Amino acid sequence: MAATRRELSVRGTPIHLWQDGAGPPLLFLHGPGAGGRWLEFQERLAEDFTTMVPSHPGHGGSPAAEWIEHSSDLAFHYYDLLDELNLARVHLVGASFGGWIAAELATMASHRLASLTLIDPVGIKVDGWIYPFLFGMDLPEVVATVFHNPMAALALTPPDQSPETLAMQYRQGTALARVAWNPYLYSPLLRRRLARISTPTLVCWGAHDRLAPLDPCGQTWAKEITGARLTVFADSGHLPHLEEPEAVARAVADFAGKASGA
Amino acid sequence: MKFYYFHLMPYVMDHDEPSSWVTLSNRFYDPARGRILYNQYLDQLEFAEALGWDGLCVNEHHQNCYGTMPSPNVMAAMLVRRTSRAKIAILGNGLPLRENPLRIAEEIAMLDVASGGRVISGFVRGISAEYFSTGVNPTHSRDRFYEAAELILRAWTEPGPFAFDGKFYRYPYVNPWPRPLQQPHPPVWCPSQGSSETVEWASQRRFPYLMVFTPIKRIAHIYGEYREACQRHGYTASRYQLTVNVPIVVATSDAKAEEIARKHVMWVFNTGLRMHPPFWRPPGYMTEASLRRILQNPPPLPSDLTFEQADREGYVVHGNPATVRDKLKVFSDELRAGIVCSGLNGGSHEATLEMMQLFAEEVMPAFRDDASVDETAGVGR
Repeated sequence: MAATRRELSVRGTPIHLWQDGAGPPLLFLHGPGAGGRWLEFQERLAEDFTTMVPSHPGHGGSPAAEWIEHSSDLAFHYYDLLDELNLARVHLVGASFGGWIAAELATMASHRLASLTLIDPVGIKVDGWIYPFLFGMDLPEVVATVFHNPMAALALTPPDQSPETLAMQYRQGTALARVAWNPYLYSPLLRRRLARISTPTLVCWGAHDRLAPLDPCGQTWAKEITGARLTVFADSGHLPHLEEPEAVARAVADFAGKASGA
Repeated sequence: MKFYYFHLMPYVMDHDEPSSWVTLSNRFYDPARGRILYNQYLDQLEFAEALGWDGLCVNEHHQNCYGTMPSPNVMAAMLVRRTSRAKIAILGNGLPLRENPLRIAEEIAMLDVASGGRVISGFVRGISAEYFSTGVNPTHSRDRFYEAAELILRAWTEPGPFAFDGKFYRYPYVNPWPRPLQQPHPPVWCPSQGSSETVEWASQRRFPYLMVFTPIKRIAHIYGEYREACQRHGYTASRYQLTVNVPIVVATSDAKAEEIARKHVMWVFNTGLRMHPPFWRPPGYMTEASLRRILQNPPPLPSDLTFEQADREGYVVHGNPATVRDKLKVFSDELRAGIVCSGLNGGSHEATLEMMQLFAEEVMPAFRDDASVDETAGVGR
């Protein structure tokens, strides 16, 4: 199977989107550095779902959008995408930064979601935890913070070190910093709004996440979202869908299947 | 040509840490030694006025051993009462780094009034690392700079109170007391490393452009761009709009000067500006166009700069008085710079005072054909 790359305009904002598979629609929101990537995890999801993976504006192949200055701008952008794609109800999955945006969208539009899966999301202020400042780290430090098995980082290796690639990485970092530099990796408004989420929610967490550790971050998310189920992945850091793609995809399929009454 | 004495107020030290900025622990800072250094540095600035320097420069940097002046206005305040003639150039305040930039308008006005109108007000964005030490979003840097500059200039020139409703800064009442003494406002300078955006912004407003620690070839190129931009805006740039900051070492012999430059000037580049790589390039601090220009022709990291390269490319001026005069003629006659800002560092307080005296007696007089000119007349406002 080969995923198809689509170019869309979402209320005037151009983006790229990968799509493959058949079945109920599933939208995946990626984390930093993963824009424009179709990886094993997405491949697995496509076995059970019509899987759509858009790149955030400024990430992957999507052009930067100056108007996006806050995480809620991105959440509204994806609300608009649901309309653009005529998705009355969708399974929504978000990892890391993408989990933040997915949660924010869920606080606005639970009625449009068939299920919600958050994979090591950031986005809320957690008592007793300050996220390590990735913007101030060089690559080895970032890998050591984000991955349990550093080999898994190879999936996100840039194709080369050409000026074009470096400019794209700078554009991605800039798009992320616009919404996440300060407050760093969270919106002060989001945590108290998580109670509005009425979608069945699965919270996946890497046991060795050093950016947002299970205790206290994962536990806080599971507590704040009514009825959320917390599943821990023993051999993963911050990105279990890269370190244990098959297990996480299976957890999503099982949970989403039950949520839809399949 | 005018001479301004430029001080970084470094906390000179050797260390093996990966960065002299942001993360170099302040446990290395010994306040008892700091007290001695601050007072020696202020003595040097006061001595510079006595020796005939036209201006005294201070500047803002945060969380490092390179320059220990997080508030340049505090140092300027000390100089205001201890000097009487020299301009006091604050090069500059980091506009975007402030949450309340109206405070800059107030502090500069205070200094201007108290000093009898001797203040020059530099506007800077702050260097990349400062977005890590202040938490200010680097993607806002340029827009905050322009907005704060507009606010400050309006606060100095428009009768208050008026309301200001910007994207980053909002005030129901802008009405600072005091107003500045110089009219319409103290001269504004733009210290920069040559981004085309800043050249355009400064030239349009007749704000002098200060090239800091830049190779001569690049200074010539940027001066050319600046002069051209001034023509485009309908006027010819005064030579006092073209200024430069270059370290100078003068000694009784060329060999002695080279020895001092190798040790003390290179400390500034190799240790003072040693920086953990991510601190050089925070996301969004520069435009993508600027980034692409840099990627095409990457400048050496200061920590990798060798003395030979620094010497060859003109990052430093050193030699006996005759050699230094010859080298400075490149600035006065070829680059046609109007003001040279320079710190002199002999390695110790006493050696620095001696070097200053030698410079004032043997070098400065050769460039004094403009002694009666006020370099701030019609410039920077």
